[in-house]
Amino acid sequence: MGPGRSELERLIESVALELVVGSAVSDRADRIGEMLSALADQARAAGFSSLTEAVEEMQGALRPSETQDWDDVERKLKDGIARLRQALEQSEAAPKTTSQNQLAEDPELIADFVLESQEHLVSIESQLLILEQDPGNAEAIHSVFRSFHTIKGLAGFLELTEIRDVAHELETVLDLARSGQLTITPAVIDVALACADFLKQWVERLQAPSGERHLIAVPPSAPLIQQILALRSKDPVAAQAPEAAAANGTVAPVEVREQAEAERRRARTGEARMVKVDTGKLDLLVDMVGEMVIAQSLVRHDPDLAQLRTPRLLRNLAQLSRTTTELQKTAMSMRMVPVGQLFQKMARLTRDLARKSGKQAQLETIGEETELDRNLVEEIADPLMHMVRNSVDHGIEPPEERIAAGKPPVGRILLKASHQAGHIVIELSDDGRGLNKQKILAKAREKGLLDGGVPETDSEIYNLIFQPGFSTADRVTDVSGRGVGMDVVRKQIQKLRGRIDIRSQEGQGATFSFKLPLTLAIIDGLVVRVGKERYIVPLYSVREVLRPGPDTISTVENRAEMALIRDHLLPVIRLYERFNVEPLSKDPCQCVLIVVEINGKAFGLLVDELSGKQEVVIKSLGETMKDIPGIAGGAILGDGRVGLVLDVVGIVGSHWEVAANA
Amino acid sequence: MAAVSVSPAETRRASKAENLAGKYLTFSLGREEFAIQVLKVREIMGVEEITAVPQTPPYVKGVINLRGKVIPVVDLRLKFKLPELEYTQRTCIVVVQISMGTSVLPMGIIVDSVSEVLNLAPADIENTPDFGAGVTLPYVMGMAKIKGKVKILLDIDHVMTAQDLEGLEEIFNA
Repeated sequence: MGPGRSELERLIESVALELVVGSAVSDRADRIGEMLSALADQARAAGFSSLTEAVEEMQGALRPSETQDWDDVERKLKDGIARLRQALEQSEAAPKTTSQNQLAEDPELIADFVLESQEHLVSIESQLLILEQDPGNAEAIHSVFRSFHTIKGLAGFLELTEIRDVAHELETVLDLARSGQLTITPAVIDVALACADFLKQWVERLQAPSGERHLIAVPPSAPLIQQILALRSKDPVAAQAPEAAAANGTVAPVEVREQAEAERRRARTGEARMVKVDTGKLDLLVDMVGEMVIAQSLVRHDPDLAQLRTPRLLRNLAQLSRTTTELQKTAMSMRMVPVGQLFQKMARLTRDLARKSGKQAQLETIGEETELDRNLVEEIADPLMHMVRNSVDHGIEPPEERIAAGKPPVGRILLKASHQAGHIVIELSDDGRGLNKQKILAKAREKGLLDGGVPETDSEIYNLIFQPGFSTADRVTDVSGRGVGMDVVRKQIQKLRGRIDIRSQEGQGATFSFKLPLTLAIIDGLVVRVGKERYIVPLYSVREVLRPGPDTISTVENRAEMALIRDHLLPVIRLYERFNVEPLSKDPCQCVLIVVEINGKAFGLLVDELSGKQEVVIKSLGETMKDIPGIAGGAILGDGRVGLVLDVVGIVGSHWEVAANA
Repeated sequence: MAAVSVSPAETRRASKAENLAGKYLTFSLGREEFAIQVLKVREIMGVEEITAVPQTPPYVKGVINLRGKVIPVVDLRLKFKLPELEYTQRTCIVVVQISMGTSVLPMGIIVDSVSEVLNLAPADIENTPDFGAGVTLPYVMGMAKIKGKVKILLDIDHVMTAQDLEGLEEIFNA
C-alpha cells in the first residue's frame, strides 16, 4: 500500500495545483476531469473507499450541465481536495488497517470470537426470557446490554461489519431501555431474539473453515436493522434520542473497543476458575489414565513383587492404587457438564411454540446444575425438543379451554433433572389435558396396532404412542403431529441405553420421564468367555444368568433352539456360532446361558463361561470397523487386552432376520 | 505430516523420482522386500495378543490396545493373498498412519520382519515396470534398486483403503 499512497498523494496535489494556478476552471475542465479519473482508478486499485467516494463526488460536480455555475464548481472541487487530503491523512493509519485485516483472518482469533459469542448468545437468550416475564428487571437489561456490547466490540475488532452493525443498533435500543426512555415490550423481545438468532447464524458461519464460509447462507442485516430502528422511532420518548445515539456510535469506535476490552477483562476474572480444554485432549487424558490403571494393577499383581511383600512396599502400592483410582474418577468427571444449557434451549423453544400456536405456556426448570456427559447432552437434545413440542402442541390447552377447566390460563411445563443411582432422570411434566386412553386405544385399533391383543394397564396403553406410525393429533401442524416422532424419540433414548416412562392423569397433565446413564463412555458389563475370546455383555440388558440343565434347551423343528425357563420359552443364540469362533464346549450343560432382554423381548445367549463383572470404557473400533453387526465397540480389560462389547440389539436383530429368511 | 499429505493420485501422476526420494522403512514379506515412507510409520512392535473381530475379512486379524486406543491390525500377507505363516519372534506389527479422506487413522500391519531404514536418492528410484496388459499396480509407487536388490515402494494408504488387491500376485509369480 506504500507506493500506492505516495502516488495518490502526488495525484491529489497535482489536481490541487491545477485548481489554484491558472485561469478559470471552465477552461480546464477536461484536463481536471482526466486527472480525477486517473485518481479514481488509483484510489480504487488501492482500495481506498473514502477517497474513491470523494473523487466520484468531484467528478459529479465537474459533469457538464446547462446551468453550470463555475464558481460553485470550483468551490466544490476545492472542498473535494480538502476532503481528499484529509482522507489520505487518516489513512496514515493504513498499516493499522492492513494488520487488522490480517487479524480478521487469524483463525485463532476467529475461534475465540466464536466461543465467546456463543457464550454471550446463550446468556442473552436466557436473560431475554427473564426480561419478557419481568420487563422491569434492570439486572437482566444490563446483562443483555453488556453481552451485545461485548459482541459488538469484538466484531468491530475483527471487522465483521454485519455482526457489529446489528449488535450496535440493538445495543442502542437496550441503552434507551436501560435509562428508562424505552419500555420493554414483547415486540422489543421479539426483535432482540431475532438479533440473537441472526448473530447465531453468523457465528455458525464463522465456525466453518474459511474456504467454505461463503457456502453457508446468512440473512442480510438490513431488514433486521430496519426493525430495530422501527422500535426506536415508535417510542415517543426516545424519538429525539436516536441521532445522538447514532452519532455516539460513529464517533467513538476506539472508545468502544476499549470498553469491549474492559468487558472482556471483567468476563475473564469471572471465569478465572474455569479453563477451556479441547475435547480431544480430554479423551487422550482419559485413555492415558485408563492405561495407568492397568499398569498399576499389573505391577500390584506381579508375582516377583508379591514375594517381597514388605510393609513398606504394600503401603506404597496401596497409595498408588488409591491415587490412580482418584485420578480416573477425576478424569471421567471432567467430561461432565451441567444440563442447564440444554434446558435453556427448551425455554426458548417453549416460548416460540406457544406464540406460534396461540397458547400461553411457561417453562420452569429444576436441577439445572445436574451433570451428565457432554456427548449425551447433544444426543438427548433432539428427543427432548420433540417432547417439549408435543407438550405445547398436544398437552397444553388454549387459554379459553384452560379457564373453562378451572386452570390458570398460562400452561405450566416443568423440566426437572436429578441423579438416581448412577443414572440421570429428566422429567418433563405439563399441566395440560393429559393422555386420553380411549383416544389412544381407538387410534391404535384404527392403525392396526392392537392385533396382538388389547393392553390392560395404563402404562401399556400409553406405550402405544411409541409405536411407529402412531399419532393422536387430529390435525397435522407444523409443530408436531406428523405421525413420526414418538417412535423416533424412543429409539433414540434406547440407543443411549435409556428408557422412557409415561404417567398421566386425564385432564390434569402428563409426565414423561427419561432415565439415562450418566455417560455413554462407561458401561457396567459382564465379561464372558467364548473359546479364547472375551466379550462384554452390557449389564443393563442382562436379566439373569444360569447354567442350563439337560432339559432346558430344546430344538424347534430341528432349526431354532429354545430354552424353557420358568415356563417361558426363549430363543437361544449360541454366540460361538454367531461369531464363528471355536468354543471350549458345545454341550449346553457345560456352558452358561445369559438371559438378555431388549425391547421387552428376552432371549438366551450361550457362552462358555462368566469371568466377572467390570466397569469398562467403550472405545470405537475405528472408522474401518464401526458398522459390524453385533459389536458395539471395544474395551480395554484389566490385563490390557481388548475385549469386544456386544451390541445385543444387533445380535438378536440379525438372528431374527436369519430365522425369518430360513 | 506435510511431506506425506500428497495424495496417492498426485504422487502417481507426478511419478517423479525426486518426489519419492527420502527415508523408507523396509520390511520383508515372503521373498519380497517392501518399503514404506518413514513418515507414515508411528511405531514398530512385536506381535502381541490380538482380539479377533467377527465378520471381518480374513486379512483383518483383529484389534489391539495401543496405549489406550483400540486400533485394527491387518495381516499384510493375507491382504496380498500370500499363504498364511505362523508368527515368529521376527514377526512385527508396524503401526502406520493411514490417510483416509481428511482423517488420519492409526492401523497395525503385520509383516514377516522389519529390515532397516534406507535413505533413497532420486537415482535409486525407478518407475514401476510395465507388467503387460491387464496388470495395474496402483498401490506401487515405484521400485528402488539398492545393492542389486529390488525394493517395492508401497503406497500404504492405497493398500489399506483398496477393496481387493489383484495384480500383486503377478509380482510374486514373476
